[in-house]
Amino acid sequence: MKLKFKLSLFNILTKVAFTGIFLALMPFIIERINLTQADNDLIKKREQVISQIAEIGIEPFITSDSSEAFGSYNILKEEFISLERADLDQDWNFIEMTSRLIEGEEIEFRVLNYSFRVDGQMYLLEVGKSLDSIEHTARNIRKVMLLFLVFIIVVTFTTDFNYTRHLLRPLDKIIRKLKLISEPSAFDRTPVRTTTSDFLQLDNALRDMMDHIEKLFRKEKDITVNISHELLTPVSVLRSKLENLLLKENLDPDVSRKVEESLKTLFRLQSLVNSLLLIARIESHQYLREESFSIKEVLQEIISEISPVALDAEIGLMDEITTDHIFDKANRPLIFSMFYNVINNAVRYSSSVSPIVIRSEYHKNRYTVTVSDSGIGLSQDQIKTLFSRFKMRNENNGKGTGIGLAIAKSIADFHHIFINVESKPGSGTKFYFIFP
Amino acid sequence: MNVLIVEDEKSLAAEIAEFLKSENFLCDIAYTGTDASEKIAVNLYDFILLDLGLPDYEGLDLIREARKNNSEASFIIITARGAVEDKVKGLDLGADDYLAKPFALIELLSRINAVARRKFNVTDPEIRLGDFIMNIQSRKMFFSNKEVDLTKKEYDLLQYLVLNMNKVLARHQLYEHIWGNILDDQYDSNFIDVHIKNLRKKLNFHAPTPWLETVRGVGYRISLEN
Repeated sequence: MKLKFKLSLFNILTKVAFTGIFLALMPFIIERINLTQADNDLIKKREQVISQIAEIGIEPFITSDSSEAFGSYNILKEEFISLERADLDQDWNFIEMTSRLIEGEEIEFRVLNYSFRVDGQMYLLEVGKSLDSIEHTARNIRKVMLLFLVFIIVVTFTTDFNYTRHLLRPLDKIIRKLKLISEPSAFDRTPVRTTTSDFLQLDNALRDMMDHIEKLFRKEKDITVNISHELLTPVSVLRSKLENLLLKENLDPDVSRKVEESLKTLFRLQSLVNSLLLIARIESHQYLREESFSIKEVLQEIISEISPVALDAEIGLMDEITTDHIFDKANRPLIFSMFYNVINNAVRYSSSVSPIVIRSEYHKNRYTVTVSDSGIGLSQDQIKTLFSRFKMRNENNGKGTGIGLAIAKSIADFHHIFINVESKPGSGTKFYFIFP
Repeated sequence: MNVLIVEDEKSLAAEIAEFLKSENFLCDIAYTGTDASEKIAVNLYDFILLDLGLPDYEGLDLIREARKNNSEASFIIITARGAVEDKVKGLDLGADDYLAKPFALIELLSRINAVARRKFNVTDPEIRLGDFIMNIQSRKMFFSNKEVDLTKKEYDLLQYLVLNMNKVLARHQLYEHIWGNILDDQYDSNFIDVHIKNLRKKLNFHAPTPWLETVRGVGYRISLEN
C-alpha cells in the first residue's frame, strides 16, 4: 500500500476512534455538567426563599401553630418548592435524586433538602427540579455534537489527505525517477523541488550514489579496454608469426602440421579472451540497446545456419515458432548470440533419437521461447553451475570451454530476459527465455 | 601498392610487413603517431593500416590529418581495444574497414583487396573456376549460365577461398571469417567441414571440382592456374 494511503487510513482510523470514545463518554459528561448546573440552580432558589423568609417572616408561607405545609408547583411540574415543619434529629442540607407523586403522576426530581429553625421550630425546605427537562437538553446537545463531529471528521480528513499527498509528491517523483531507468547514466539529475529536508537528502543521496556507480562502470570499462589490449596484442604477434611461418615454401609437412596445431590452440586462447571480454563488456553496459526487431526472424536465421550441421549429425531441428514478438530496445547481434549459443549447445549434446524443438508462445501474457532437447540431461548440481563460467557438464570432453551459456546468461540479464533450465538426467533439457 | 603500417608493437608490424611484401606490396612502417603523421605528410600511400592504441597519438586524429592533406589513402583500422564506439567513430571518419586484433593475415589481405576492388572500380566481377563462373558483385555462382543454388554461408565460404586462391586456408581462419560476428566460445571445425561437404555435393551435381582441395590436417585450398 502506498505511504499516502497508509497515512490517510491511520488518520481516519484515529479520528473515528477518538470521536467514538468521546461520543461514548459524552452522556456521562453532559449528565455531570447538567447535575452541577441543576444543583447550582437549586441552591440559588434556596437562597432566594431563605432571604424572603428573613425579610417577611415564615408566616406568609406557613402559620406557626398549624400543621399544614406549603407547596408550590409550576404548571408543567418541572419545578416545585415545599416548606413544612419537621422534627429532625439533625440538620439536613443535601441534594438527592428522588421520585415524587404529583397529582397521580410519578416524576423523577432532583431535590434539595434544607432544614432551618425559626423561633426554635425546625422547618424543612425542599426545592425540586424535574430531570426530564435535564435529559431533554442532554439529548439535544448530543445530536448537535454528533453532527458537528461528523462534519469535523470529513473536513479534516479531506484537508489532511490532500496535504499529505502534496507533502509526499516529491517522494513519488523520486520513485518514478528510479523506476524509469535501467542504468545509472539515465538517472534524471535535476533536483526534486521540495522544502522537506528528508526528501532533499534522499534525492541527493541517490544522485551521489548514481554518480558513484557510473564512475565505477567507467573504471571497469577502462580496465576492460586495457586488459583486452594487453592480452590480445601478444596473441596477435604470435599469430602473425605462425601464419607467416606456415606460408614459407618447402616447409616440412610435419612442421607445417605442428604450426597449424599451435595456431588452433592460439585461436582457442583468443576466443576465450574475447568471450571473457564480451561478458565483461555486457556486464559493464558497453553495448547499446536501441534496436527493435523480430525474435521470430532471429530464431529462423539461427535455425537455417545450424540446420546443415544438425542434419549432418542426424539431429532434427523442429521450428515451432508460431508467435512472433517485436523486441524493443535491444541489441540484435547479442540476442542472436544468446539464442545461437543455447541452440548450438543443444545440438552438441543431443542424441539423434528425437529432435530439438524450438518453440515460442505467450505464457501468462509474456513472450516465451523454449529450446528443448532430448539429450543426456542434467543433474541438479549441474543445473546450479550451468550458467557460471568454465563449468562443463562432462568435465573435459574437448567440446569447448563451456562459456557459451555464461555468455547467453549475461546477454539475457542485460536485456531483462529471464532464462531458466529444466532438466532430468536421461530425459533431456529444456531452456526457457521469458521476455520482459 | 604502397602501404603504411602504423603499429607500435614492433614485431607485429614486422610480421605484417613481411606478409604484405610476399604479396607484392611496398611497405613502410611507423611505430609512433608522430612518425606516421610525418610520413603521411610526405609520402603517398594507397593504404594505411592504423593501430588505434598508439602511445603518443590519438589514432583517429591521423585520419583527420590525412583527409586534410587530401591524401587518397584508404584506412584500415586495426585495434585490440575492440570497443564498439571506436569502430563506429573510425568508420564515421572515413576509415574503409575495421579489423579487431588478433586477425588472420589472410583476412587482412582480403580486406585490402576488397577495398582496392571498390576503390579502383574493378570492372570484371566474374571469376572462372573451371566450368563455373562466380560473380562477386551479384554474389552468385553459375554453371553454363544457370545459377547454382547455394546458401549464403556456402557462398561466403566459397568466395573467401576463391579470393585467396592458391592459398591454404585453415579451418579456424575460415570459421573466423564466416562466423566471426557470432560471439561463441568455441569454433566447430566441424561446421566448416559440413558446409564444404554440402558445397561439393551441390557443385559436383553439375561438374567435378578437382580445384577445391582438402589439405590434410590444415584446411582447404582452391588451386587454379591462371
